[in-house]
Amino acid sequence: MTTITFPAPRTPQRAETPPPRPARFPRYLSETSLLVGRGLRMIRRVPERLSDVTVQPVMFTLLFLYVFGSAIHVSGLSYQNYLLPGLLGQSLAFGVIGAGVATSTDFSTGVIDRFRSLPVTRMSVISAQVIGQIIEQILGIVIVIGVGLALGWRPDLDPARGLELVGLMLLALFAFTWLGVLAGMLIRSSDAMQGLGFAIMLPLSFLAGTFVPIAGMKLVPRTIAEWDPLSAIVASVRQVCQGTQSTGSLQLQHPVPAMIAWCALIMAVCIPLALRRFRTVNA
Amino acid sequence: MTAHDLTVVTNGLTKQFGDLVAADHIDLEVAAGTVVALLGPNGAGKTTVVRMLATLSAPTSGTATVCGHDIVREADAVRSVISLTGQFAALEDNLTARENLVLMARLRGYARGAATRVVNGLIDRFDIGEFRDKLVKALSGGERRRVDLAASLVVQPKLLVLDEPTTGLDPRSRQVVWSTVRDLVDEGVTVLLTTQYLDEADALADTIVLIDHGRTVAAGTPSDLKARIGDQRVDVVAVDGAGLDGLVAALSGRFEVDVVRVRRTISVPAPDEIADLAEVAAAVGASGIPIDEIALRRPTLDDAFLALTGQPIDTEPKGDPENVSGATRKDLAGVTS
Repeated sequence: MTTITFPAPRTPQRAETPPPRPARFPRYLSETSLLVGRGLRMIRRVPERLSDVTVQPVMFTLLFLYVFGSAIHVSGLSYQNYLLPGLLGQSLAFGVIGAGVATSTDFSTGVIDRFRSLPVTRMSVISAQVIGQIIEQILGIVIVIGVGLALGWRPDLDPARGLELVGLMLLALFAFTWLGVLAGMLIRSSDAMQGLGFAIMLPLSFLAGTFVPIAGMKLVPRTIAEWDPLSAIVASVRQVCQGTQSTGSLQLQHPVPAMIAWCALIMAVCIPLALRRFRTVNA
Repeated sequence: MTAHDLTVVTNGLTKQFGDLVAADHIDLEVAAGTVVALLGPNGAGKTTVVRMLATLSAPTSGTATVCGHDIVREADAVRSVISLTGQFAALEDNLTARENLVLMARLRGYARGAATRVVNGLIDRFDIGEFRDKLVKALSGGERRRVDLAASLVVQPKLLVLDEPTTGLDPRSRQVVWSTVRDLVDEGVTVLLTTQYLDEADALADTIVLIDHGRTVAAGTPSDLKARIGDQRVDVVAVDGAGLDGLVAALSGRFEVDVVRVRRTISVPAPDEIADLAEVAAAVGASGIPIDEIALRRPTLDDAFLALTGQPIDTEPKGDPENVSGATRKDLAGVTS
């Protein structure tokens, strides 16, 4: 063997006693911030974790702008102004994949079990998961916006619409992150989560008027697209950013209320299920 | 013994996953300040019991208390008196050893300064200094296990739960784990551990509980169980069938022999260990019959099961520790998802 010395632990020192535990809510806040801090530190250590929300949308931007874009004509809008809001909408929904992968990884490594065996509020563990993921997604979205602006995207925003955009984006991020956390707890293999996430989200995104207008699609894809929740998100972002008015199904005529409704529905279903699953996971 | 002296009490603790009864009416009593080892093969239900006591999974039926707190109704109180070291080092791969420990200390309620002091003490105690600033994913199995143990001792628990603490570890890391357990017991900590190794249970435990198929099959002190399992034996392996017959003829007059023909093995009880080995070896030498092997053999988990239940363990043959734990992980995932 080697020459590494491996002495038995020294005579133990008396452990310092932890301070009396504060009331539940301040405890929840400090535990959540500790756990969010853990997640953020990981971003620095494993930057490739961010590739889903950075490299991949930038690739889509370049691919569609410079490869497919010349064959796509959108009346009344430059392709930059059509594509970038679409990609923003797609990024919001793709948050489900990042959140799902991170959650399934945490659950399969036993780290979450250790947190759950500590006297920390369980809500703080899952809150930190959601908040950390949202911060990651925001980072990715900022990059997409930056690349878009550099390549000629000109959003038509006044302060009120800017605020509306931020509000809508946060709402969608929140909803899709909860969906991802729930999916990650149910699937529990990060590879499977990644594969399944893309297999579901990518077609939904292609059908959502993200890259090409829905109106020009054949009957079957058009019908799906008109009721695809991502269509409402993409149309909302585009409406707020560029002042466009989408037409077609009811949700496309009123994309903003439709997007809010979809997000509310996702939250109403996923939050209680995720909390329940978190309490009883492995039970 | 009054309830006050018992750190863990379970009554008919049962856990069912669909049709599989992973833990079947387990009745346990762990006296304060003692070490109880749950001993059994893979899939016996040891981890299931431990997870219920650590409040990670709720029993299907039955009850249990830890330090008088009910594991279901007073789960939060239970969590504040226990520490769990799971089967797979539950550390954050992408944080350093030190960052992992600080995070655990902060989550246990220490302020920044106190957390640093506590963590420095642990780094000292477990000799983590050399690799304290390495990412956990870069550590060896033994190093990870030490960090993992340190992480569960950020606060001195009343009950330390160790799930297969030495599976897959090199012998030296194993010694560190063992001496840590002994130190903690000296400090008054109660320890509940699971293991697949008879020698580990023998070395550490005051009480051994043998578990198979979710049921308790035997319980007692190590010496008590060893008396029932039988002593060490000397095994003599013959070169061929004729040699075996010759050896049986040569030895059976002087020793009490068991013959396992398919393995060409003669087995002789060896209560006096080396002295018996020498005596058998001398007799074999005197007979002039060539042999393949002669060895002193300690009873294994298989022997224990055979002796105490009359049945061998019916699991697949054990591969290397990596494979064994890999299979366990898969089994668990299958059961729980």
